[in-house]
Amino acid sequence: MSRMKTVFTSELKPLLDAAAGQMELYVPRKSGDYYVYAKYDPSSEREIEFNNIRACTPVKEFLLPGCELAATYPKMAEPTEVKPFAVFGLKDCDLRSIEILDKVFAEEEFEDPFYMERRKKMFIISSDCSNPGESCFCNVLDGRPYSEGGFDLNVSGTRDGFVIEAGSDKGEDFLEKHSHLFTDVPETLLAEREKNRAKTQSQLEENNAGLKFDASAKEIFENSEESDVYDVEAKNCIECQACTRICPTCHCFFLYDTKQKDYFSKMKMWDSCMRMAYAAVAGGANPNKILGDRLKHRLMHKFVYFVDRYGLNMCVGCGRCVDADAGGIDLREILKKLNEELKDKGKKETKVAK
Amino acid sequence: MNENPYQPINGEIVEIIDESPTIKNFIIKPEERFKFETGQFVELTLPGEGEAPFTPSSSPAVTDKMDITIMKAGRVTALLHDCKKGQKVGIRGPYGNGYPVDDFVGKEVYIVGGGVGLAPIRSLFLTLVERIKDFKKVVCRYGAKTPEDFIYKKALFGEWQKIDGVEIKLTVDKADGKWKDHEGVVTTICDKNDVDIKNAVAVICGPPIMMKFATFKVLEFGFKPEDIYLSMEKNMSCGIGKCGHCMLGKYYVCKDGPVFTYDQVKGYPKIWD
Repeated sequence: MSRMKTVFTSELKPLLDAAAGQMELYVPRKSGDYYVYAKYDPSSEREIEFNNIRACTPVKEFLLPGCELAATYPKMAEPTEVKPFAVFGLKDCDLRSIEILDKVFAEEEFEDPFYMERRKKMFIISSDCSNPGESCFCNVLDGRPYSEGGFDLNVSGTRDGFVIEAGSDKGEDFLEKHSHLFTDVPETLLAEREKNRAKTQSQLEENNAGLKFDASAKEIFENSEESDVYDVEAKNCIECQACTRICPTCHCFFLYDTKQKDYFSKMKMWDSCMRMAYAAVAGGANPNKILGDRLKHRLMHKFVYFVDRYGLNMCVGCGRCVDADAGGIDLREILKKLNEELKDKGKKETKVAK
Repeated sequence: MNENPYQPINGEIVEIIDESPTIKNFIIKPEERFKFETGQFVELTLPGEGEAPFTPSSSPAVTDKMDITIMKAGRVTALLHDCKKGQKVGIRGPYGNGYPVDDFVGKEVYIVGGGVGLAPIRSLFLTLVERIKDFKKVVCRYGAKTPEDFIYKKALFGEWQKIDGVEIKLTVDKADGKWKDHEGVVTTICDKNDVDIKNAVAVICGPPIMMKFATFKVLEFGFKPEDIYLSMEKNMSCGIGKCGHCMLGKYYVCKDGPVFTYDQVKGYPKIWD
């Protein structure tokens, strides 16, 4: 791939104003300890916030709303048009979660037209992560604190301003169109960007030094068939479903029908595999009546079944579920425990072999 | 926007036949021609109330009407049982993979069914019978709880039994005074001498517990796991492998099934639950 256009700006506001002039723009806003997304208002005096860490809310909200109209009948309604929109400040873990959702909703055989419509209209302005949180463990799952693809524009903070790189034709066109806002990038700043990235990467590695595994996450979970970890962990679970709601890759939904005044509609709403009746069939049979079994299914889906099906993990290591979990269930601790069990199993087998 | 997979086509219930105390057969006329392969399923919508997955029980050769045989088992099916002729419905699908009938050519087809499991089997049976000479023979072993729980009684006790190349045996879990035939669960009328196992496929459909024991039985006869076809019941909802409710290991039953070989699913936990 030929290198895409890279430019420099000393201020973010002109860039965001230009984006907002073309489409609806969503930007991160600090709310308590976390960032959440809000619509950008160019006329606001409010200072531009450059989030150094992923937002609290998952990017799926822009592509799969919590509840949406899926169909009307007996007469089909005219589809509502989605306006072009941009999201600023997405991190590489967010982009990887989009890649995962694409596997499901953009798969050739059955595209989800609502997802596709939003996906096509979405303009992604990602930015480097420079201050990973305590719960961030993307590096353990092959993630990085910066993106090399999957964005339209990427912003990297440097000492004197921001390095902006295009990652798509749409992004290049944008930089072209607003070229008066940007200057060439001094080589020294590109070097600084690399240095910053390497620094954050080392920080992640340092933070997660305790997460060293003897096998891939897939192998660890594949070997967990007999483990009691799930039932033990489930004792702390209060079934709040926060883990699945906040997870950027969880995408289960529930279809239901409603009566309107003179028509009927099918609605699509987020669902959670941690819910008791999630897999129940008419007549009452339910393979996952037990909470520990539901937790197990959730993680097996992420680390085994999804990999078998689509070739990548369905977890980006963003740590949102760790932050959100009211019962204190920590995926990293589950991974550690299962890894220990795998090691013990290995030892036992070696003993038997001798 | 692309074609919307969540949009049902309109249809109407044109006839309702009481099959058993808990099972009714609904004949549905879609507004447009509706094609499916035997074993595939549809999502049937009761407007404003909800939808549920069913495998049509009629022959795919008929495209202007479709039979859907429904046991009263949950909320939507109970509401459907209260419906009258003329009720409007919605239909989405067909979804998933049906029975690979062409792969059965030249073989003996050993069908083991129970209860409302005869609904998908009836569609398969009618498909096989339309070209019965293509198969060595079709052997059916079918059980119901009591004699009155049999469905499609007229055909089952009459015309189907007379078809050349078809062998049918019936049983009930609990006989009444009039029942002269076999009593016992369906596996008690399965015998390894029923078919030439080396040149046969087994098709099993019924309540999960029956499917489990029938599968173990035919395995014991010597059927290879890849020659045993199961119609799996899970909570299929979207029909297109996205909503997640019907996952069975890496499979979406709605998209990769509902017909699976035992070989495909045997490694996963709780396939019968």
